Amino acid sequence: MIDWLAAHLHIIVALALPVAVPLILFQVLPLMVLIERRGAAYIQDRPGPNRAGINIHPGMLGAFVHKGFYLVGPAIPLIIGLLTPALLPWFAPITYQVAGQAEAVTIFGQSLMAESGLLLFFALGSLSVYGVVLGSWASNSKYPMLGGLRASAMMISYEVSMGLAVLGMLLIVGSFSLTDIVEWQGNHTWGIVVQPVGFLLFLVAMFAECNRNPFDVAEGESEIVGGFHTEYSSMKFMLFMTAEYLHMIVAAALIATLFLGGYHLLPVGGFGTVWVRQHIGPVLGVLLALGGAGMLAFAWLITRRRAAYLRKAHSDNASRNREYTVYAVVFALLGLAHLGAGAAAWLLLPVPTAVIAAGGLAIFPWWASLLTAVVQFSVILVKTILVCGLFVWVRWTLPRFRYDQIMALGWKVLLNIALVNLLVTAVVTKLVK
Amino acid sequence: MAKIVPRPNLSIWEQVYFLEVAKGLATTMGHAVRNLVNPDRFETTDYPEAKLQVPRDYRARHRLMKRPDGAPRCVACFMCSTACPARCINIVAEESPDKHIEKRPARFEIDLLLCVFCGYCVEACPCDAIRMDTMDLVLVADNRRAFVIDKEKLMDWQPTEYPVDDEQSQKAPGGILHAKALEEFHSGTYH
Repeated sequence: MIDWLAAHLHIIVALALPVAVPLILFQVLPLMVLIERRGAAYIQDRPGPNRAGINIHPGMLGAFVHKGFYLVGPAIPLIIGLLTPALLPWFAPITYQVAGQAEAVTIFGQSLMAESGLLLFFALGSLSVYGVVLGSWASNSKYPMLGGLRASAMMISYEVSMGLAVLGMLLIVGSFSLTDIVEWQGNHTWGIVVQPVGFLLFLVAMFAECNRNPFDVAEGESEIVGGFHTEYSSMKFMLFMTAEYLHMIVAAALIATLFLGGYHLLPVGGFGTVWVRQHIGPVLGVLLALGGAGMLAFAWLITRRRAAYLRKAHSDNASRNREYTVYAVVFALLGLAHLGAGAAAWLLLPVPTAVIAAGGLAIFPWWASLLTAVVQFSVILVKTILVCGLFVWVRWTLPRFRYDQIMALGWKVLLNIALVNLLVTAVVTKLVK
Repeated sequence: MAKIVPRPNLSIWEQVYFLEVAKGLATTMGHAVRNLVNPDRFETTDYPEAKLQVPRDYRARHRLMKRPDGAPRCVACFMCSTACPARCINIVAEESPDKHIEKRPARFEIDLLLCVFCGYCVEACPCDAIRMDTMDLVLVADNRRAFVIDKEKLMDWQPTEYPVDDEQSQKAPGGILHAKALEEFHSGTYH
């Protein structure tokens, strides 16, 4: 059984990964809603929502809509949002030797090992505008149509700058493959260091691609009600929102992969996958300790919030008090557990010894590789959530652009900067190489 | 005549916009961090559990004042329903058993969905029988009929809910001045 598992593990992982990664990203989704609402509240000097519930409503289907396209509309962005994570590398390939077999087996942290990974990503990503346009057109109503027009014009305009912004990074790395891009960043430095202008351009273009503030004219509620999803309600509306947040999470993961070092820990070369595998004990120790300290700090903040709540509450609402108490206790215990696990990992884990295989490939013990994969997945997940936090932060800071300002910015400013950036990068890359 | 709005003169750094964005981000993050560390800074309250104090002269839901013996002070003169611009007060009068008082309300209903909370009824009342000082401003019901409050609901209040120096409220049954008021009432010096 164990032998069979070892021999077929790479197949099992290859089959499970395309399902597991979207499922994990789906778990980030409610977290994003929480970050969005609570972040908005704290930025605006208010405590934020203190009630949450789910409203199961059958929803309405207007007699005037084109039913087929109307129902397909929200599904398209959701499918795209679930497909695109398959292209991103979530951890470094794990190579191991199965006893009794000559060749080493490799588990890839990427479901679709396409040479043209980034191109495929953009090709899929640009399809999601069809969901918005289809939904808005099939709604057969004025506000959705205006929203859909705005969305299509904006998303197509910014795709040009987005592609050009990434080209600089591709020139430096010399490959379209996302694995190569991440590995280059592990060997040299993060993309944001060599391509700061490209990073900013890509970030702005991604805000526009995700329909996020300050580029959310497609649903500008002050002018056109809900924009493209005005006629949508209940689960169909929720599909649109899910897709929007999923799109944002995937975009953040792509930004992290392209410019923030992907699954690599430090923005300095030489601390790549091999280094992490060699020092898996101390690395785990430090990371777990950091996480534990963060959780303890969070528990402390919740305690303070609970005290402030109790000072002002007139009626003693037991369930609310219990909620704060439970959070504080759970996070305190989790923090302590992380600290303990970190200390245990540092002290107890032996230094892994690598075996040099036939192709000059260093093969580490399975546990070192596995823990490294876990560390790397956590690193890119944390980076993704931080970039999502940036999305939220920007949303509650900047006002919405006017439509003509968006067009002017996209075509007259960003495109030119992207072209100049590309030119400079090309010349410098040619000179350096 | 159209009003000409002058275009703001932006400096080159403001036109580049990224610096301004960074300043804005610093401002918002400053607020978020300060609120996170010190949750007492919030401008709003945890509403259902913590409520802001409403001023005592706030015009909220009505109440009917009571005589020391617990009867309504209202003499069914219809002044309030006449003054009411929303016509939300519906009174049915009947003969009072007290020979000193001509009438009393058999029914006294206020439709709170029609009421505009203007306070004219309080102004119009010649014997201070209706007040709007209950501070009950969250009116919730699941049907419209429930918003029409009757005499019993209007008189369902306790003197302890009102300030001690509010003599008229405290003279009601159960109030700390009630015994004295009842004494005055029976000796004929009650006003």
